[in-house]
Amino acid sequence: MFDLFLDFFANRDNHLTRMDSRTKMIVASSLILAVILSTKIILPLIVLAVCVSIMLIIGIPAKLVFLRLIAPMSIVLALVVVQTFSVNGTGFFSVSLFGLHLVATHEGLTHGIMLGSRVLGAVSVMILLGSVTPAHKIFHALRWFKVPDTWVEIALLIYRYTFTLADQTTDIAEAQKLRLGYSSLRRSLSSIGVLAGTVITRSMDQAMRTYEAMTLRGYNGAMRFEALPKMPKTEFMGLLIVLPLIIATYCAVEWWPK
Amino acid sequence: MINLSRTAIAFIAVLIVGTAAAPVYAMHISEGILPMGWAVLWFLASLPFVVLGLRNLRIRSEKEPHFKALVGLVGAGVFVISCMPIPVPIAGTCSHPCGTGLAAILIGPSISVVVSSVALLLQALFLAHGGLTTLGANIFSMGVAGSFVGYGIFVLSRRMGLSFVVAAFLAGVLSDWATYSTTSFILTGALHADTSFWKMFVTILLAFVPTQVPLGILEGFLSAGAYTFVHSRRPEYLGILVKGDAV
Repeated sequence: MFDLFLDFFANRDNHLTRMDSRTKMIVASSLILAVILSTKIILPLIVLAVCVSIMLIIGIPAKLVFLRLIAPMSIVLALVVVQTFSVNGTGFFSVSLFGLHLVATHEGLTHGIMLGSRVLGAVSVMILLGSVTPAHKIFHALRWFKVPDTWVEIALLIYRYTFTLADQTTDIAEAQKLRLGYSSLRRSLSSIGVLAGTVITRSMDQAMRTYEAMTLRGYNGAMRFEALPKMPKTEFMGLLIVLPLIIATYCAVEWWPK
Repeated sequence: MINLSRTAIAFIAVLIVGTAAAPVYAMHISEGILPMGWAVLWFLASLPFVVLGLRNLRIRSEKEPHFKALVGLVGAGVFVISCMPIPVPIAGTCSHPCGTGLAAILIGPSISVVVSSVALLLQALFLAHGGLTTLGANIFSMGVAGSFVGYGIFVLSRRMGLSFVVAAFLAGVLSDWATYSTTSFILTGALHADTSFWKMFVTILLAFVPTQVPLGILEGFLSAGAYTFVHSRRPEYLGILVKGDAV
């Protein structure tokens, strides 16, 4: 899972990674909102196509984009099946399972596809945002949106040490495998408990070292954050163009005659 | 209208079970699934718990300045554990534990909600699991339901005189099942359409059964194993961490 997690691409240098995180978060939130409020399939699909194209243009491998989209795709499939059988309307086939008479309807299928397109559209925005913005910048930007400093502090600590602990966990798990720690169900259950316990104790050892290091740097129970810089004027102007554009596209798609 | 053949029925059954047997993805409600009204409702429902967790964290770290570092690092540890693949025997797939039951018995339920909110945001942004508009719903199912059920069961079991191994096992199992039951409830509210609420709820819950019943039991073993390990090797750490949420 951590192979997919790496925000390596967010630390590359390109036009999108150089943009202010707040600008990206405002645009991303607006796009997600437009996708969720959309009642037609076309807007989510446009957003999906644009986001995937941008990811490919800025050099994110197609395989990685696909792997990140697999999760929502499986959800889309389940949504379409569930909605097809749960919305009343004109039936196009029926199934009898365990005494239940299930009717698949055109309206249900259409609704399922609508929901599925929303999932794909909104998730593609999230993936793009995560691919061009490192986590620590997102956390700092959240302060601008009035998220409490305590939350941001915990988020920064969790993010900072996740990869260190993940590397250590992988090493321990490999050592356990070499010693046949996963050769039977009983041994697997024992090994996974020891592995989880080791991760917890190591994280606490690290916490004590981190706290000592932070104390030496003047930490007294709360991180001091710098004031966030003003949003660049060009990006502010850009927002004034992009946001109305999103609204206009949404309105045009929604009110476009059938 | 067409009446389907046995082959078609079998295909649909495999499709439904196959899509349901993707527990890695089912753990979080994906971006775009919840209509805006439901998304706002679940944000409002989970907000007081996050605020309570932040308040408890701030008050306790004023008394013990090292506490935030501990919570951050234990949070990172539990986040790593929640990403560990564990095989689910019946489904024949690998899945991932929630980790909230373990987090709750280590750092307390309300602070565990804060840690869950961070983990869920990271997973939404960098793994496409969950989402921004569904963050409130996911915090409620995984953070609030998972943490409070896990912690409540642990405390109750200990008061009933059960050993900490059994208590940690039950906390792991029931916090996992509570998470998935709440997820089913949230999904039903948003998706039941013309079907009756309870019929849809039972259907979604049953779709989780093939993977989540064994996964919950495995999470119980994981929680019990981890707690036992920490208890036997570093009992002093449990003394530092476990003071409940009463500040």
